[in-house]
Amino acid sequence: MKWGQTVRQIKGEMTGAMDSRKAQQVKKMILGQNVNDGWLAKIVLLLMLIVIAFLYVQPIIEMISTSLKTLGDLIDPVVGFIPREMTMQNFLDAWKGLKYPEAFGITLFLALFGSIFQVLSCSLTGYALARLKFPGKNLFFVLTIVAFLVPPQITIVPLYMIFYQLGWLYTPLVILVPALLAQGIRGALFVIIFRQFFLSQPKALEEAAKMDGASAFRLFFRIMLPLAKASCLVVFLFSFIWYWNMYYEVELLLSQGFTPLSIRLDQLETNLVGNRALNFIGNPADPVSEGPRMAAAFLIVLPPVILYLIAQRWFTEGIERTGMVE
Amino acid sequence: MNDKQRRMQYLKFRWKDYGVGYLFMLPWIVGFASFVAFPVGWSIYNSFNDIDLTSEGFKYTWVGFQNYYDMLFRNTAYPIILITEFLELLITIPMILIFAFFISLLLNQKFPGRGIMRAIFFLPVIFTTGQVIFQMFSTGAGELPFMETYNIRGIADRFFGGWLEDAVVNVLSQAVIILWYSGVQILIFLAGFQTIPRTLYEAIRVDGASPWESFWKITFPGMIPFMGLNAIYTIVDMFTFPFNPVLEIVSRNMFDASRGYGYASAMAWLYFLLIMILIFIALWFTGRASRKGRE
Repeated sequence: MKWGQTVRQIKGEMTGAMDSRKAQQVKKMILGQNVNDGWLAKIVLLLMLIVIAFLYVQPIIEMISTSLKTLGDLIDPVVGFIPREMTMQNFLDAWKGLKYPEAFGITLFLALFGSIFQVLSCSLTGYALARLKFPGKNLFFVLTIVAFLVPPQITIVPLYMIFYQLGWLYTPLVILVPALLAQGIRGALFVIIFRQFFLSQPKALEEAAKMDGASAFRLFFRIMLPLAKASCLVVFLFSFIWYWNMYYEVELLLSQGFTPLSIRLDQLETNLVGNRALNFIGNPADPVSEGPRMAAAFLIVLPPVILYLIAQRWFTEGIERTGMVE
Repeated sequence: MNDKQRRMQYLKFRWKDYGVGYLFMLPWIVGFASFVAFPVGWSIYNSFNDIDLTSEGFKYTWVGFQNYYDMLFRNTAYPIILITEFLELLITIPMILIFAFFISLLLNQKFPGRGIMRAIFFLPVIFTTGQVIFQMFSTGAGELPFMETYNIRGIADRFFGGWLEDAVVNVLSQAVIILWYSGVQILIFLAGFQTIPRTLYEAIRVDGASPWESFWKITFPGMIPFMGLNAIYTIVDMFTFPFNPVLEIVSRNMFDASRGYGYASAMAWLYFLLIMILIFIALWFTGRASRKGRE
């Protein structure tokens, strides 16, 4: 009798303990062992990120929706994100106004060669600043930082005069030559990135190569540059996108003739004058030209976005492995 | 072989080594001299001159500090715009840094869909340079949706008065800019988190520290150099920002026949000096903070 009671008591306690252990497990799953690995924390985190991400994506959605709207929909305030009827007319206008195939070729040419040249010249300079010994090295590094800080607004007019004297105005040389000489768009930043990367490499590499009698250039192109593949890729991608979007520098130096897409976006309204929808140049918020301008903007960002989606993994992970980290 | 000869030989050997270094630096040296040093020097010289565009080219008249004097004491608009812009930068830059730090902290956690989220938060890197963002803002696509719906100006009016209201509303209406100009900063912070060794966190957890403490004792001090880097990057970035009202004035004056290019150069240089002060403040703060962290 007494014995049975004890057994029952033990049994009850056991199940109670089991229950509380299960409860513990559930609690652990929801709240987590640390602050950041429970369900609850993750849901809050994700919600916060989604809200902020919406703010990022919203202008892009609006851009696409505006570019698909007809004139009637644009003027009608009732119409929100989704147009009543889709039209491709804006894209046709933008395509014509930008002279898209030609401008695309020009922009691609500038961005591609500009960034390849920049990878070469900046890696060369960064390597010298990190690994080679010569008097005045620190001074050169300080000057690189100065070059990064000097805004283009200060140098643009003297540059215009220099290129005018050389007869290079309105030719791709104004972009490609500075790129080849490590002074392209934010070239100083790339030099610093490469320097940081090469500084992190073990010294033994060079010693081994020197023992084998390799020249400095051979060593650089055969061993060091392939090692810096991740940095090269990051520099190439950033450089490509910055060259693609470049506006301020080319506004003056390439305003005629060899004009890239960003300049043509500016000239879009003028180019479309006489077109059925755009017979006047209104204020920028004017709904009449809004459609084609948004369509043009979309056409311009599309190639870098595609490139970015393909290379996204290297963009975000590569940067963690490069010398950006001091 | 006497001592002198040996020395010569040694020097020759050293210089051969140095020569390789200079050879590697050669493209940069040529580029720096012709596309940075020379234009900068010319621009400084210009700022002390009155420049007339005549049929034979530029005519320089040395005027000393006259351009600077005129700009500060005769021109009523420029100093005010300069100061407003400077104050706005003082508010915007910390906000960009805090926002970027917060987002990168979130993105650094493990959660489903992290890849997609990261992709979205780096999108600004593609959009923010150049003309596309300008078009987006001028058509109103870049405005924060809640600004009008909740009548932010009215609320700000009730709580802050006068000039503070203007600054607050300005910064709020530029909240999108804070969002859009923190792409690279988020990237740098994320890269920075990877440099803090995991073992440190494990060690402090074994010592019984709460996550809150481990953030302030390890994460935050470890990130101070990256904050400095980001601060400088942000300052330089805001400098070439397409809506920057100061640069608008500078560009307008550049091609204005009445004042001329010399005057515009002086304006640009004054602005540059102010920005340099900001950069030095940022450097000083990070230098002091990281020294303190090490002690």
